[in-house]
Amino acid sequence: MAITPTYNEQELIAALKTKDEQSYSYLYDNYSGALYSIIKQIVLDGELANDVLQEVFINIWRKIESYDATKGRLFTWMLNIARNASIDTIRSKSFQNTQKNQELSNNVNISSSISNQTILPDIDNIGLRKTLGTLKEEHRILIELAYFKGYTHEEIAKIEGIPLGTVKTRIRNALLQLRQYLK
Amino acid sequence: MNVKEYISSGIIESYVLGLASPEERVEFERMCDSYPEIREARDAFELSFEKNALSNAIEPPAHLKNEIFAKLHSEGNNTQADNSFKKENAPATVVAMGWLRYVAAASIVLLIASTVLNYYFFSQYKEYSAKYDQLVQNQTQMASANQTLQTKLQDYESALSMMKDPAMAVVKMPSIPKGPNPNSLTTVYWDTKSKDVYLLVNNLPEPTSDKQYQLWALVDGKPVDAGVFDISKDNLSFVKMKNIPRAQAFAITLEKKGGSPTPDMTALYVLGKVS
Repeated sequence: MAITPTYNEQELIAALKTKDEQSYSYLYDNYSGALYSIIKQIVLDGELANDVLQEVFINIWRKIESYDATKGRLFTWMLNIARNASIDTIRSKSFQNTQKNQELSNNVNISSSISNQTILPDIDNIGLRKTLGTLKEEHRILIELAYFKGYTHEEIAKIEGIPLGTVKTRIRNALLQLRQYLK
Repeated sequence: MNVKEYISSGIIESYVLGLASPEERVEFERMCDSYPEIREARDAFELSFEKNALSNAIEPPAHLKNEIFAKLHSEGNNTQADNSFKKENAPATVVAMGWLRYVAAASIVLLIASTVLNYYFFSQYKEYSAKYDQLVQNQTQMASANQTLQTKLQDYESALSMMKDPAMAVVKMPSIPKGPNPNSLTTVYWDTKSKDVYLLVNNLPEPTSDKQYQLWALVDGKPVDAGVFDISKDNLSFVKMKNIPRAQAFAITLEKKGGSPTPDMTALYVLGKVS
C-alpha cells in the first residue's frame, strides 16, 4: 500500500509545479469534492459536472505555472478555474440547445427559469446556494446571475432593467451578507 | 482612502469569487501590496470560503479519479513525447538549416558581388559613352574643318587659275598720292573675254561698321558703280564684282553702307589705270 504524503500549501504548490503525479493525487483527494460541488451548483447536471471536473484538473495541470500565490490561495485559484469552466459549459451552444429541448416552454425569462431550476433538488441545500436562500430575493437573483451564470454587471443591468450602479451596490451588499454567513 | 471602509466595501468578496471587473482586480491587487491589513482580510475571507466549500463538498463518482488521472498521465506523456520528438528531430533540423544557411550566405555574397560589378560596369559604360560622344564631336569638328579647307583650297585653285589665265587683265590699284591710307593696295583681275571683274584686296584699312568700300569703273571719264564689298581678314580670295564691258580705270572709295550712286571723291583710296 502506497504511503500518501501530506503537504502544507507551499509544499503542495511546489510539487504541483514539478508535475509530480502524487501531488495531483493528493490535490484530488482533498479538493475534488469541494470543486465538484461548486461545478454542480453551476451546471446542475451530474454527467456534465463529471466532464467539467475532468477539464478543471487538466487545466490545473496545464496552468499551474501561472498560479501566483501573492494574488490568492491555491483553492481560490482552482475554484475560479472550476467556476469559469462551468460557466463556459452552460453558455456553450450544445448545452443551450439541450436546455431548449428540455424546456418546451420557450417564453421563460431568465429570472423565472432560475426559480424553475430544481433539476437537482439537493443542490439548493449545499454551499453558496444554501446561503443564497437566506438572502432577500432581489439580492439572491443578482448573485445567481453574477456568480452562477457568469453575467457581467452590465448584462445584469440589462436583463433586470435596473441601473448599473444599483446592480453593483446590491451585489456588494449581498456578498457582505454571505460573508457574515460564512463566518 | 479609508482602509477599513475599503475592506468592508465588498471588494474582497467580489475579488475572491471572481466577480470584480478587470479594473477593480488591478486596483485591489495594488491595494493588497500597499496595505497588509487588506491582504489579511482577503486571506481570512478566502480561508472561510474555502472551509465552507470543503464542508459542502460533494464526492464525485468514484470512477472519475482514474479517468482523470489517465488523462493527466497521457497529458504528461504527450508533453514528454512531444519533447523527445523535438529532440530527435532537432539535430536534423539544425543540419538542414546549417546547409541552407551557407546557401543563404552564398546568395547574399553573390548578390553583393553582382551589385558591385553592376555598379562597376555601369560606371565604365558611362565613362566610355562620354568618351564616344567626345570622339563623335571631334570627328564632326574635323570634318567641318576639312570642309572649310576644301572650300579654301578650291578658292585658291580658282584664284590661281584666274591669275594664270592669259586673257586676264591685271590692274594694280595703289593708293592715290596723299590718300587716306598710303599703304592701300588692291588689284582688279578683269576677264577681257567675259568682262567679269574680280577684286583682290591686298591692303585696305577696315572701315567702320556704317561704311563700305565701293569699286568704280571709270568709263570715258564717268564713274560707273561696280559693286560694294566687305573686307574680311581671313578671306584672301577674289571677290567677284559687277560685269564691266568697258573701262579705262578702276577706283575705290569709302561710302556709306550699301554704296552711293556717285563716288565721294574726298574718300578716294586707290586708283589704277587699265594698261
